[in-house]
Amino acid sequence: MGSVLKRWKLPAVMLGPFIILISLFYFLPVVLIAILAFTSMDSAMRWDFNGLANFQKLVTDPNIGVVVKNTIIYVGFTLLFNVFFGLALGILTTYFIQKESVGLFFRTIWMLPRISPPVVYTLLLLWFFDPSEYGVLNSLRALFNMPPDKWLTTHPMTAVILANGLIGASFGMIIFSSAIKSIPKDLFYAASVDGASQWSVIKDIIIPAVRWPLMFVTLWQFLSLLTSYEYILLLTNGGPLFESEVLALYSYHKAFQNFEFGYGSAISLVLVLIALIFSALMWKWFGMKKMMGSSRIE
Amino acid sequence: MRKMKKVTASVLSTFVLGMGILTGCGKTDQSAESEANANKPKVVTIEAQTAAPEVTRVENLEKAAEKLNEELKKQGKNIQVKVKTNVFEGSWEEYSKQFMLAFKAKKEPDIYTTGHENIGWLADGNYILPLDELKKSKEYSDVFPVLWDSVTYKGHIWGALQDTEARPVFYNKDILRKLGWSEEQINNLPEKVKNGEFTLEDMTKLAEEAKAKGLAEFGIIHRPVDGPDFHVMVYNFGGKLYDPKENKIVLDKKAVKKQLDYYYDIAKKDLIPDNLTQMEWSNIHKTVVNGKALFYYGGIWNVFNWGQDNFHEKLGKVDEKWVNEHFGMMLIPAAEKGGKGITLSHPFVYTVSSQTEHPELVKRLLELVADPALQTEHNVKTFHLPVTKGGAEHPDFKANITLGKVAYMTEYTTFLPNHEGFPKYSKAVFNAIQAVELGKKTPEEALKDLEVQLKNDLGDQLKIVE
Repeated sequence: MGSVLKRWKLPAVMLGPFIILISLFYFLPVVLIAILAFTSMDSAMRWDFNGLANFQKLVTDPNIGVVVKNTIIYVGFTLLFNVFFGLALGILTTYFIQKESVGLFFRTIWMLPRISPPVVYTLLLLWFFDPSEYGVLNSLRALFNMPPDKWLTTHPMTAVILANGLIGASFGMIIFSSAIKSIPKDLFYAASVDGASQWSVIKDIIIPAVRWPLMFVTLWQFLSLLTSYEYILLLTNGGPLFESEVLALYSYHKAFQNFEFGYGSAISLVLVLIALIFSALMWKWFGMKKMMGSSRIE
Repeated sequence: MRKMKKVTASVLSTFVLGMGILTGCGKTDQSAESEANANKPKVVTIEAQTAAPEVTRVENLEKAAEKLNEELKKQGKNIQVKVKTNVFEGSWEEYSKQFMLAFKAKKEPDIYTTGHENIGWLADGNYILPLDELKKSKEYSDVFPVLWDSVTYKGHIWGALQDTEARPVFYNKDILRKLGWSEEQINNLPEKVKNGEFTLEDMTKLAEEAKAKGLAEFGIIHRPVDGPDFHVMVYNFGGKLYDPKENKIVLDKKAVKKQLDYYYDIAKKDLIPDNLTQMEWSNIHKTVVNGKALFYYGGIWNVFNWGQDNFHEKLGKVDEKWVNEHFGMMLIPAAEKGGKGITLSHPFVYTVSSQTEHPELVKRLLELVADPALQTEHNVKTFHLPVTKGGAEHPDFKANITLGKVAYMTEYTTFLPNHEGFPKYSKAVFNAIQAVELGKKTPEEALKDLEVQLKNDLGDQLKIVE
């Protein structure tokens, strides 16, 4: 008895707070959402269980088609943008710019949108897309005698994807540039002695070396994009109409604008399920188990 | 197994220890407070909350508390009331949401000031107390009778009427002058609207004329976001929004179709800005104040807003006198010739939290705050209308050039229903209006989608009238 206590005292003291934090802030919300999804909780905040009514409502919701379509477009294109643009930035700032201080300078610039608070960043974007002739984009158009355009009305999804893509790219950039840096220099020297073209250096050395980070970034960004809505909320609030409304934002609107907490939770629960299924699938497709093994460059 | 138990025990004890430290902190504060207050008269703090910018709504409660304290002294009670005010800044949805959450955390204000249409969900959720005795009190004996409808829900009174307003259509006098109207014609327009001689169709035609002649950039401006103004059109087209007998929201398909036709029509004729529902409020005010629009579906309190910020390009803040020289105010013209002009009011009310510890003191405070002088101070400062005849007869109110012109509108007014599901109806109708204005849907399509949406959102709370 005494020895067991002795053995577990330290780990318990060390891990206890974290286990509490994780269960309070990560696990409990999911459990609560799962329970709430089966209630008709509204502004009266009563736990009235109503079976599968919320899910039936979700299937018959006239907006759900367009919202799901938007979610696919949003997650798909932003993910492409995040991963490939992040990779391009990583290669540019580590391979093409060999001088570390210069590369670091450019990487820092790309990190700025991520460091700035979302509200401030979105405010700048709102000014960038402003429909009046004073907006940045429109004043550029004015140089070519083009009339001002209402960007957020005419191209809401493009604006949302661009905004999220530009922020998200810095995440990939950081991961990829450190992966590229860890490639032994000899490989590059050997390639240049053999007279390899830049393209073949990228294709045959860099890409294979960053294969695992590439998959990690894809999975990670996919999950965070699926549930993120703050930039859309601030930029277009899902509008005009439902043109830039995605599932996560729809859940927020239902819960906190219409005060249908039960229904909003049901939508969130569907999102959680989608995330779980895709994580499992990607884990399998990408062979994550193999990734956890030893490094392939040695 | 035993190991597991140990781990669980350790984890739990860490947790309990943490909670102990937290609650310990709370206790010391409380005991210090009670010791200090032992000898003085017992101070009862009543919290009151309102939304910016009309802070007079809670400031008046502070003044009413002074009277209440005198009363309490006379009665020989060792109690003094202190009103703690709180002004919320943010959207109306956030204002509702924070009250909901504060209530559940037992940190809500005792008096929550809100629009009358929130009574439905507040009462259904047991957030507020019924205030039926207010109707019998001396202070509320001369309330304009129609206003009681706005605070009645399921047969009870749920709020103390605080103020009401007029939502007139502002018309730009300068543009009418340029169209060749005489001063007399311009000043007679409200009368013609009132009698149904100048109809909604005439208004649209006039806006077209002004736009065609290049005198106005826009013919008509309405609010850019969801709100009560849109629903008055259903009443104007002879429809209903609510069935009090069944306590159900009504989708009056004929009237709503005409409502959507109207917004489709003014958008198609290019009378409104094509991104009106994406515009910021400040841009709406700028467009109107700078004379770019002939008609504006506004609110009387806009006169107050225009004096608060620099909306005019040259003059900056504009005062009441300037507004009255350049703008006239009329009812919303009747949909048909020979009908009557119409408007919608949105009385503001004080509601009382059902968790308040001092319901009697709070109720007495709400009686005292209905004092005509206090009402008038708020009304004149923020351009609202009184709820009692006493308030309407106050000399300062009568002397006000703006308010005097719209006081008659209370007789032509309508209200939104107090039903809990109405915000959902409102949001769905606003989306439909947005869709027809942006040209994404025809009124027929929008109505069809609206019906599906409302059936889904409201379920058996909805009654459809063909």
